[in-house]
Formats: sequence, C-alpha cells, structure tokens
Amino acid sequence: MKVMITLITVFMLSLFSTGVFADSLEDRLKALEENQKRQEQTIDEQRKLIEELKTQVKEGQPAAAPAGAAAEQAAPAGEMQQQVEELKEKVDKVVENQTRTQPGIFNPAIGVVGETVFGYRSRKSSETGSDRPGGYDVNQRSVELNIAASVDPFAKAYAVINGAADPVTGEVTLGVEEAALQTTSLPWNLELKAGRFFGEFGRLEYIHDHELPMVNRPLAIDQYIGGESRTDGAQLNWLLPVDHYISLTTGLGTQFGGDNPPNSVGEFRNFSGLNFWSRLSTYFDLTPDISLEPGVSGLWNPHTAAQWDPSAAALPTTNTVSNTKNMFTERERRLLGADLQLSYKPLRNNQFQSVTWGTEVLYSDNRYDVNDVTDPNNPVFLSSRSVGSLGLYSYLTYKFHRQWSAGFLFDYVEDAVDKKAKTYAYSPYITWVTSHWNQIRLQYTYTDHNAESTAAFGLRPDNAVYIQWAWIIGAHSHGWQQR
Amino acid sequence: MNAKFLRLLTTILFAGILFMGATPAHAAKIRVVTTLTDLADFARAVGGDLADVRSMATGVEDTHGVPMKPSFVPMLNRADLLVLIGFDCEHAFLPALLEASKNPRIQVNHLGYVDCSKGIIPVDIPKSTDHSEGDVHPWGNPHYTLDPVLAQVAINNIYKAMVATAPEHKAEFTHNRDAYLAKLNAKIAEWEKEVRPIKGTKFVSYHEHWAYFAERFGLKYYGTIEVKPGVDPTPRHIQNLVTGMKDDRVTVVVREPQFPEKAPKQIAEMSGATLIILPIMPGGVPNTETYIKMMDYIIHTMVAAAQTR
Repeated sequence: MKVMITLITVFMLSLFSTGVFADSLEDRLKALEENQKRQEQTIDEQRKLIEELKTQVKEGQPAAAPAGAAAEQAAPAGEMQQQVEELKEKVDKVVENQTRTQPGIFNPAIGVVGETVFGYRSRKSSETGSDRPGGYDVNQRSVELNIAASVDPFAKAYAVINGAADPVTGEVTLGVEEAALQTTSLPWNLELKAGRFFGEFGRLEYIHDHELPMVNRPLAIDQYIGGESRTDGAQLNWLLPVDHYISLTTGLGTQFGGDNPPNSVGEFRNFSGLNFWSRLSTYFDLTPDISLEPGVSGLWNPHTAAQWDPSAAALPTTNTVSNTKNMFTERERRLLGADLQLSYKPLRNNQFQSVTWGTEVLYSDNRYDVNDVTDPNNPVFLSSRSVGSLGLYSYLTYKFHRQWSAGFLFDYVEDAVDKKAKTYAYSPYITWVTSHWNQIRLQYTYTDHNAESTAAFGLRPDNAVYIQWAWIIGAHSHGWQQR
Repeated sequence: MNAKFLRLLTTILFAGILFMGATPAHAAKIRVVTTLTDLADFARAVGGDLADVRSMATGVEDTHGVPMKPSFVPMLNRADLLVLIGFDCEHAFLPALLEASKNPRIQVNHLGYVDCSKGIIPVDIPKSTDHSEGDVHPWGNPHYTLDPVLAQVAINNIYKAMVATAPEHKAEFTHNRDAYLAKLNAKIAEWEKEVRPIKGTKFVSYHEHWAYFAERFGLKYYGTIEVKPGVDPTPRHIQNLVTGMKDDRVTVVVREPQFPEKAPKQIAEMSGATLIILPIMPGGVPNTETYIKMMDYIIHTMVAAAQTR
C-alpha cells in the first residue's frame, strides 16, 4: 500500500514538474511517455532489489538446519531487524520533535507572569500610607508579558509589558515596564544596556515583584528608590578581568524608580539633571556550601529640579512633601547603599534545603529647598537643607523542602524629608512552591510608626495579612539577577 | 558633598582601571570548563597535559541543580571550551552564567561551545512540553552519559573541539582519545559480562536518570519515584507505584544521593525491593572520582542488589 502511495505521489510530482508545462499537446504526450518509461524502469529496479533482499534473508535461514541451530542462526538477522526498527522509531521521534518546534523557530521566547495579592489591612489607607485601601483587598498586582530574543549576533533585546489595575477605579492600564537592548559581544568584558530597564542598584531593587522573597518590596526601597529601580537610560557593566568575581556597573537615566511620576522635563534639561548610579559587587565562596555576596551602590541626581516643571499646576508628590507650614522641594538626590547576602546552599541537596540571609542599608542625603507656604500663592524661600535619613531591611529565608520555605523580614525606615518620622515592620512569611511556575505565599506584617510619624503624616500602627499567588506560563529563564 | 560623590565615583573607576591592567597572561594550555564531572574526566583523558580542565559541578550535585555561583563567571570568562551535556540538561544554571561570562568564544553556536549531545539519538522525547507534564526536557532525556557506549560520542565531541582549538596537537589528542576508548571498551565488555546474569531485572529510581543505562545493559526501567520530572511524589503516586512494583516484581529501588531518602526507603520497605544508592556523575559517592570508577560502582552495586533477591 505504501509503495502504491509513493508511486502515485512520485507520478503526480513528476507530472507537475515536467510534461504539463510543455508548449504543445504533442510535447506533453511525449513527456508523459518518457515519464512513464522512467517510472516503469524504477519499478523494475525496485522489484529486483526486493527479490535480491528476499533471497539474502532466505540464505540467512537455512531450511535444513536443526531447530535449535536455526533459531540461533536466525537470531542475528532478527536482532538486526529489531535494531533497525528501534533505530527507525528513535529517529522518527526526533524528526517529529524537530518538526513540532519548527513553526516557532523564528519567534522570540514568550512567557506570561500573573500575580494576585489577597490582603487585609486593619487601618484605612490614609493611616497606612499605602496606595491600596484598608480592609479587604484583592490586587491583581501585575500581569507581565515577557518577550526576549537575539536581535543579531551582537545584541539581544527583551521587553516586559505589564498590565496593572488602578486601585481606585479598577481600570487596567498596560505599561512598558522594561524594553531594552543588551549587547552580547562587546570587547574587554563590557556589556551595554539601553532603553527602559531596572537599573542595577542594591540587591532587591532590580527584581520584579513576583520574584521577591517576600510579598512586598522592603519599605526602605519604596521610600528612597520609589519601588523597583526602573529607569529610561543606559547602563554599562564591566566584569573585571581578574580571577575573582568583581562586577562594576554604572549608568545614567532620566528617572530612577518605577513608582516615581513621569518626568516633566520643562524646556531644557542640563546633563546635571540626569540620574547617575553605580554599583560594585563581589562574591566569596567561604566554603563549598556557604557563600557571601557583598555590594555597594550609589545614586546621584545633582539637579533634581530638572525632573519636574515648577510652573506645572501639580507638583510631583514624591518630590515635595508638605511639613507643617513649610514645603520641601527636592533639589538634589543622593543615595548610598551597602548590601550583603550570606547563603548556605549545600551542594548535594540545594534544591531541598538552603538558608539565605540578605541585608541592605540605605542612606539618603537629599538636599531640599524649604519654602514657607503659609500663603500658598506667595511662597517664601527660607533655606536650603540636607536631610540625612537611614533605612534598612534584613530577611532570613529557610528552605526546608523542595516546595516549602519560611522566613522573616525586618524593615526600618526614616522618612526622606523628616528623618524623625520612623517606621518599623515585622513580617513572617511562608512560601509553598508547587512547581517552578506556581507559588503561593502567606505573609503577616505588623507595621509600627513612631509619634513623629503619626504627628507629621497621620500614620498609625496596623496589622496586615497577605496571600500572594504568582504563576508563570510559557518561557521563563533563570536570570543572573535572580540567582 | 558633591565633591565627595565625585571623588567616590572617580576612585571606583580608577580602581577598576588598575584591575584591568592586572589581566593575567593567557596560559598555553587549552582552558576547558565542563558543567559536570563526567565530562571533566573525559576532557582530562583527551586533553592530557595540554588541557587545564575545571568542572562547575563537584559530583555531589544534581545534574539540573548546580548552584549558579558567581565564582564560575571568571572561570568561564577565560575558557577556550565550554563542555556541556546538552539536551537542556543545564537549563537551570548555564544560560545565565554564559551571559554573565561575557566570553564570546563559548557562546551558543561558537567554536568553544561543545555540546556533547551532538550525534546522540535521545530517548523519552516528550509528546508535549506543556508544564502539566512537569519540568520536561523538550529535546529528550539528557542522561546519556550513564550509557558508556553513548559516552564515547561525548568523548569524540570533546576530541573534535580540542583538535579544532589546537590543531597542532592533533596527534597527542588522537593518541589520548584512542587510549582512553580502548580502556573504556575493555571495561564495557567486563560490565556487560557482569550484568548478564541479572538481565531483565526491573528497577525504579527517584529521577529519570537511567533510561539509557537500562537499555544498554538489558535491564527494565520500571518508573520514577517523582510524579513527574521536578515534582515530588504524592502519597497516591507512592501507593500506585508500590502496587505496580509488587505485581510486576520490581526488585530494586535506586536513590540518587541528591534526593531525599524518605520516599525511596518507604517504597523499598512497602514493596520488598532492595534500596541502593547510585551516583549520577563521578564524585557522587566516595571512591567514584573517575567515570570508569563510577560505572564500576554502579554495575557492582546493581548486580549485588539484584542477586540478593
């Protein structure tokens, strides 16, 4: 049956490839006759070949041999046939597998990450300072579409498109969280990234929400960076050419901090109106199972005023905060950070057991113009003042099972404008990872504010419980930053 | 304060430039980095004194769970050859390390990227790569080096890469490879003879490491303790597995040392099978520092377990 189908197929193909397109009917007939002759010749040759093969098989099984001997002698031929069949089966599977992946071969790697946070906070949003309401809340915090592929032999590109719901209206807006080009073959161990991306500062600043070891980004990062370290800019990374791992990154961008409002550039931005950052990090194997990874970071915007248009009606709330009758307007942004991560990951069963301790200390030393706004229509410049404030977070996560881990996060932060206003938070959490692509986390957070914080901003201690459910479909990679 | 910031940034930059000048001179040997220890053993055998071979894994790790250590980055940065298993075996740690290495010589499709699976016909190719099937390997089972005949394909791939990198040493590499293959072939004949009495023995293991091994030595690979790749066993799966093992007379339970003891022990006790621990790469258990020593250990242990029944 297969032979018939093959012959018909060959015949049809030859029909289309030759005589049909001859100029005249006579030519077509002639071509068909020639074709037929060639087909008959091929069939004859194949018949002969089949006969020869049959003879060879018969010769391999002498009829007169004793039963036992016949079985023994037949074995090699049978075994060979079986091996051929097995090989054919394997090759068929490989071919089938390759065929299956062909349609997507020119497409970039695509994945979607979803993250829902179910929460309860015991106080209203004006007393917690959160952009989420108090009481019961369900927050579809993000739906991220991740796309990545090589651009050419010299660069790759990736994009993260995020859909998030407005906490008040519930309206979903799509935003470009990241979209950057990254070189892959610069000399001297250099790598350049440009576009919109999470700038390398600190340890948890450039990690997406769903990849954090806890539900919410630490308070100090929210206070001094403005959420994740998103920037529109360029960043150069240099792997120092020594035997020890030392990585140096430096970059510049028009903004720094994902929760900061879009820049209002005014009519002209000087070079000093940009944000500049740098990070130096290294790594030590203390033992085969224990490692230490310290780093220092710096962020500087020499002329913050260029970040917004003073003539605009609404000033960015994160850059100016009213304090009694005075208004503080940020003029220069200065931030230093030191971080370390100490990990115990036993080589043999690190997928089942590990302990990670991570800590970061941030020191903000912003400079502000202080204006008396008793009469809002007639602000009076009083002085220029630097405010040095400190924040830190420290967490310990113990993984005791392939699917389970538990940890504790401590937060401390002083307000960037009024350093006497202090906030503390204590957050135990437990995480259940059903697979690489499905994770549920339960976290309790007690947030405490001192008297100054309550007096200045109306913040009060509160209890919160969160259940975070994050999932991934499609392609996902184990990135260097998430190690 | 501005001046202080500028000074700090300048200091960091100057420190970096000084480090740049400290680049060590390239050694004459071929610098080879392997992902796993069996590949390191092969590379040492072929490269001899002409190759400086370092492995990311020490042998005790899971093949899919080698920690992504930054200390591997400088090693990869200077490597002439990166030798890997392929078939996505190293997907959990290698792509990110490769990117961080900033070494164009060893990137995918470059001369220094030595994928040892080239020429291997994989088994267990999944019908679907949907995540409902677990953490499947889309290109098929990557644990082919546990079949010493297929390991020779890997050895030849390493040989070809070394010859392409240093053609002036082809004669030495050829001599080294042939000597090692002769030794390995002699051992394969020994192992096949040793296994012959237990042919047809059925066994289970924690992860699907043993498909190629079982096929080579005529053993029956019954199933895995994991529900699916990367998914730990559930009580129902354990119960079903034990029932099946009893019905089909499965006599050996293999635990790879990277995995917890509890489930394999429980399954062995419930089914009456013998529990053994087998390494999946050299160094996985004591006295298995080389590939041949490891295979010796695996064969002896398996035969002993099957014969105790």
